[in-house]
Amino acid sequence: MTGRAITVGYLYPEIMSGYGDRGNLAAITRRCGWRGIAADVRELRLGDQADASEVDLFLIGNGGEFHQRLIATDLADVKGPGICEAVDEGAALFAVGAGYELLGRFYQPARGVELPGARLFDTWTIQQGADLTSASCTLAEARAGRAIGDLLVQWDAELLVGFENHSARTYLGPTARPLGQVVAGQGNNGDGGEGVRLGNAIGTYLRGPCLPRNPVLTDFLIRAALQRRYGEAELAPLPDQFEHAARDAAVARHQGRRPGRSRSARVVHSARYAPAGAGR
Amino acid sequence: MAALAIDAHLLSGLASEIRQGAVIVTGTNGKGTTCRMLAGVMRASGLLPITNQEGANQPRGLATTLLAHASPGGHLPADDRAVGLFEVDEGSLPEVLSQVSPTILVFTNVFRDQLDRYLDLDYLTRRWEHCLRSLPADVTLVLNADDPRLACLAADLPNPRIFYGLDDTEHRRGSTDHTSDFPRCPRCTGELSYSCVFYAQLGHWSCAHCGLTRPAPQVRAAKVDLIGPASSRLQVVTPAGEAVLEIPLPGLYNAYNAVAAVAAATAGQLPGGALPAVSQMTPAFFRMEQVTIGGREVHLALAKNPNGYTEVLRALLRDGRPKHMLLGLNDRDEEPDVSWIWDVDFESLCGLAPSAVLSGNRACDLAVRLKYAGWTDTDTDTAAITVEPDPIGGLRLALARTPEGQPLWVVGTYQVLWQLRDWMRRQGMVSALWEA
Repeated sequence: MTGRAITVGYLYPEIMSGYGDRGNLAAITRRCGWRGIAADVRELRLGDQADASEVDLFLIGNGGEFHQRLIATDLADVKGPGICEAVDEGAALFAVGAGYELLGRFYQPARGVELPGARLFDTWTIQQGADLTSASCTLAEARAGRAIGDLLVQWDAELLVGFENHSARTYLGPTARPLGQVVAGQGNNGDGGEGVRLGNAIGTYLRGPCLPRNPVLTDFLIRAALQRRYGEAELAPLPDQFEHAARDAAVARHQGRRPGRSRSARVVHSARYAPAGAGR
Repeated sequence: MAALAIDAHLLSGLASEIRQGAVIVTGTNGKGTTCRMLAGVMRASGLLPITNQEGANQPRGLATTLLAHASPGGHLPADDRAVGLFEVDEGSLPEVLSQVSPTILVFTNVFRDQLDRYLDLDYLTRRWEHCLRSLPADVTLVLNADDPRLACLAADLPNPRIFYGLDDTEHRRGSTDHTSDFPRCPRCTGELSYSCVFYAQLGHWSCAHCGLTRPAPQVRAAKVDLIGPASSRLQVVTPAGEAVLEIPLPGLYNAYNAVAAVAAATAGQLPGGALPAVSQMTPAFFRMEQVTIGGREVHLALAKNPNGYTEVLRALLRDGRPKHMLLGLNDRDEEPDVSWIWDVDFESLCGLAPSAVLSGNRACDLAVRLKYAGWTDTDTDTAAITVEPDPIGGLRLALARTPEGQPLWVVGTYQVLWQLRDWMRRQGMVSALWEA
């Protein structure tokens, strides 16, 4: 099948791309391009509507609380309805960190009133770290209680690898279900669950950026976008040897055997680790 | 904690004994090079700078540096020419300023770096502003006018300010880099517009909303000639006159380092005739350090954050001619985050390092990055790029691919370069880090 095209809505490109997040966009556009699928990227800025009939796949990335304050109302009121409608109709969405937090019911900062969420996910997020907007907050205080490190997540039969760095904790309401189970790291709030999944919409704390490191997740999103646009989602396999090598290296770090001749690994939650390839 | 308390006491005591006071240089990139340039000007002015080594830029390292200069009785020699010149880790500035009161405080730039450590740029600059409030009002602030986060740092304080910047719009780019982190107007948080961008968020900015503009710098590079990978020429204008500076380093980022050093010298009222001594600096370790191996020049360049990596690559590849390169990437023990490589502008340099070798414990992640930047033939996933995680093996491979008489450019994070340099030292090619 040739001549296929999907439309990618990249939300707040200048504001919410704070953590290598453009890598997620590159993963989508490149993996489409290598298969002859055109990925038309619409950059959705403050004030722009999110047209539910137009966008097949939404992406939103990371920022600090300053950036969250800039976009919260716009995301909740201007774009939120269109995004929710599109996801309801099968569109794909991938939200990371700060963007994930603002797609729930609300985000409660360390100080001040809560920021409104877009209410796509039945989740809410409470900032439990130090108040970074207070200048007297020391670096040690700011880092205390923060989840920083590799994050490995069992997503159905797949093991996703990434990195987390957040002090807010996200809680799932009765209608939400997590993306997967934490294998190493903290995830949403320490209860063993990580992220959220609603239809083809995914919110997660997996950074790294996540999609280039987890081609299986990228292809899931592309398939969902194709399915919505064309009612079919045939996707040719790609040789992902570099991606697999990087993933295996990340997994190996948590098995206590690290490839190469460098330092020995720090073992985190090794007892809970399912061996690479298990269940695949 | 007891040791830290002793360090603090030691540091504040010893620092107060330096007759000419101390200059502190902080910021994300360029601290070490700016210090080395300024040290040259200080020496040419008849001063004896006491400097700290890179990596010793937190309170304990500073205390150790000063102890090394102290007599067995624990005091610094009384010398009227002595001046402190310290690069200080940007995250440690509040702690250092609580112990050392400088005469001049230089800020280079604020970029994304180690988000797993410093967390957030706004948080970092707010902490700086907070600690500046307890400084005496006569401490001169030397600020990069082209960085909107720095130009208005603690603007309500009465301290004297010297601004520096680049004026040569020849080197403008089309737009701010993705890594600019969308700085807002420091006065009204409105959106900034640029008449000229040099890189990242550095340039000639103004606020369309409230009309605030980049302050006119008292020290500015009117002309910047980027001559090659190891040479630049700057025509610098100061309130006292003009100087032409030849510096043995490439790229706009080093032009900024040079004008920062000149601005600090201006703040310290050092003689204008001493300014050309910025050229007498020796590059800091891994800042285009040069070694000859088997008839090939090998240049080592440190790159540890998005703008650093991007600007080093742009400086090396700006002539558009493909180069032989070894690119290194390591993470650190407690900081496994390498997501920042996705903010490096590898896309625009596609094809300029056709046979690159990738090394370091995160070389595979770098390979993925370069694949998505278009550096590989993805139909087959076979590429001109080669992954060899072991740095020594990677260097051997890269040397074998480099024809005799041609240079090899090594760009990488600290640990990769350290392993390479340690190997070179054992081969007798370079002196030990602590001897150079």
